[in-house]
Amino acid sequence: MSEALLRLEQVGMRFSGLQAVDALDFSVQAGQVFGLIGPNGAGKTTVFNLITGVYRPTSGKVWWQGQDITGAAPHRVAAMGIFRTFQTIRLFAGLTVLQNVQAGLHLQTRQQWWQGLLGTPAQRREESAQRAQVGELLERLDLSKVADEDATSLAYGLQRRVELARALVARPKLLILDEPAAGLNDQESLELNRTILAIRDSGVTVLLVEHDMNVVMNVTDRIVCISFGRKIAEGTPAQIRSNAQVIEAYLGKDDDDDALAAAHGVQGAAA
Amino acid sequence: MNGTHDMGAAVPGPAAGAAAAPRRRWTRPAIAGALLWLAGLGVPLVLDQTWVFIAALFAVYAVVALSQDIVLGRAGMFDMGHAVYFGIGAYVTAILNLQFGWPILATWPVAVITATLLGAVLAAPIVRLRGDYLLVATIGFNAIFVLALNNNVGGVTGGGDGLFGVGAPSLFGWGLASQSAMFYLNWLAFAFTLWLIHNLERSHLGRTLHYLKLDQLAAGTLGVNAGRYRVLAFALGAALAGFAGTLFATLMSAVSPGAFVFTESVTLFAIVLVGGQGSIPGVLLGTVLMFVVPQVFRGFAEYRYFVFGIAMMVIMVLRPQGIWPRGKGSAP
Repeated sequence: MSEALLRLEQVGMRFSGLQAVDALDFSVQAGQVFGLIGPNGAGKTTVFNLITGVYRPTSGKVWWQGQDITGAAPHRVAAMGIFRTFQTIRLFAGLTVLQNVQAGLHLQTRQQWWQGLLGTPAQRREESAQRAQVGELLERLDLSKVADEDATSLAYGLQRRVELARALVARPKLLILDEPAAGLNDQESLELNRTILAIRDSGVTVLLVEHDMNVVMNVTDRIVCISFGRKIAEGTPAQIRSNAQVIEAYLGKDDDDDALAAAHGVQGAAA
Repeated sequence: MNGTHDMGAAVPGPAAGAAAAPRRRWTRPAIAGALLWLAGLGVPLVLDQTWVFIAALFAVYAVVALSQDIVLGRAGMFDMGHAVYFGIGAYVTAILNLQFGWPILATWPVAVITATLLGAVLAAPIVRLRGDYLLVATIGFNAIFVLALNNNVGGVTGGGDGLFGVGAPSLFGWGLASQSAMFYLNWLAFAFTLWLIHNLERSHLGRTLHYLKLDQLAAGTLGVNAGRYRVLAFALGAALAGFAGTLFATLMSAVSPGAFVFTESVTLFAIVLVGGQGSIPGVLLGTVLMFVVPQVFRGFAEYRYFVFGIAMMVIMVLRPQGIWPRGKGSAP
């Protein structure tokens, strides 16, 4: 097997007494849609934060195309081609949709700071070319109509799409989506499925955390299920669906509504 | 949101290179500002010497306030020691001119570069601090700076009395000693600063500082190196403050520690908050309130902090975004 795009090797994260992630191993191959699932509090978002440099793992290694990126700062991880969205949307408040998405072009920007201060022709050309580039993407994502609106004033589903656009415009090699379907209605979550598959088909590897089993079971190529920070199962959606440990983890002793609903999703999808 | 999104080419290609550089359209606020600036040029023609001096002083303080705004209003760092960079600019010019006989214009680059380097060096270790800790650290800089001036460090600062008799700049042998000449010089420097900041607002740097201020984590995951941009913002703010300082030294023809004490930093800080962070008209209004109004009502000058203090409380309660907040259209 060729070198994985992303590989976690015995990654652990300990927050004063709490082992949030424990000796986690998994590999994401290029071209996959890779799902990370697990009950609430299983440590899924922590795993994303460990990959993207928000936290530094207390043990283990993160490998990116064979290179050790354990504990690299977020901006260095981004420079590798890893971009993400957040579970709780983090758009820039008070800026328009267009200005928000243009932020995703940061690493592709060529102008130097002094060119900006002097307003040189090359700098102005780049600014307007970037706006045009963002405009095209907004068109494709059906966001043109709200391009000049305050991004954080939009409906939830639209804000999610703006955040996705901001990560996409950065031309990721790996796109990490943290619960992209949270807060979306059925119609929107159906569209999201198509969007994720289209992103994969354009050559971007996708890693996603999701509660919505409809999304997880229909778009992923491979799934890892974690519970209390530990991997309890890995396989194709079909394998995960019928895995006794996965079903138990979701039902278990945890009577959280979300977990129950998600577990029904697992069983429903299995039926 | 109807239908399928054509995500076939989800990853956008490189921007199509536009042929000609787009011309900046003059926005209405920019036109109004330019007209006001032009009207200001008439001050020496119609008003007396006192007013010419006040207008020149306004120009100098406007430059410092705008430089404070780069650090505080645009990059979101609680710098409460900005008078240090203003003071460095002023003292470098005064010392080089008085102690070493340099012509004023020759001291300019040295003053600006010294302030820039000091800004970068002092900022580097503290830009990762949280807002309140950074604020305390910058207060410390200011305290040390004033202490050094008072103690006549190196025997060149003149101690608590400062230095007197700073010369006037001369250009091609023509002295610019008259009040009017000094005014035009400062008024031009003011225009230059406005132009720089106007450009900054429309640049990648201006946008990036704003992203960082709003959400450092989100900006980081998009590839923004927070430390680098914060140091850059500090250095830039210090450079402009140093430039204002050298103008100040020639305008007053004297420098003393009192002009660069902690309360001056507080005043600059307050101008930005009360006027409107990241807003050119807001910061200029704040400057007028704090530095021009007290000059006009000299009899009441001692009430300056009293009046401004009450104004600060009222504005922060009723209008926390400032008197003239940054407009949506003007956001980068």
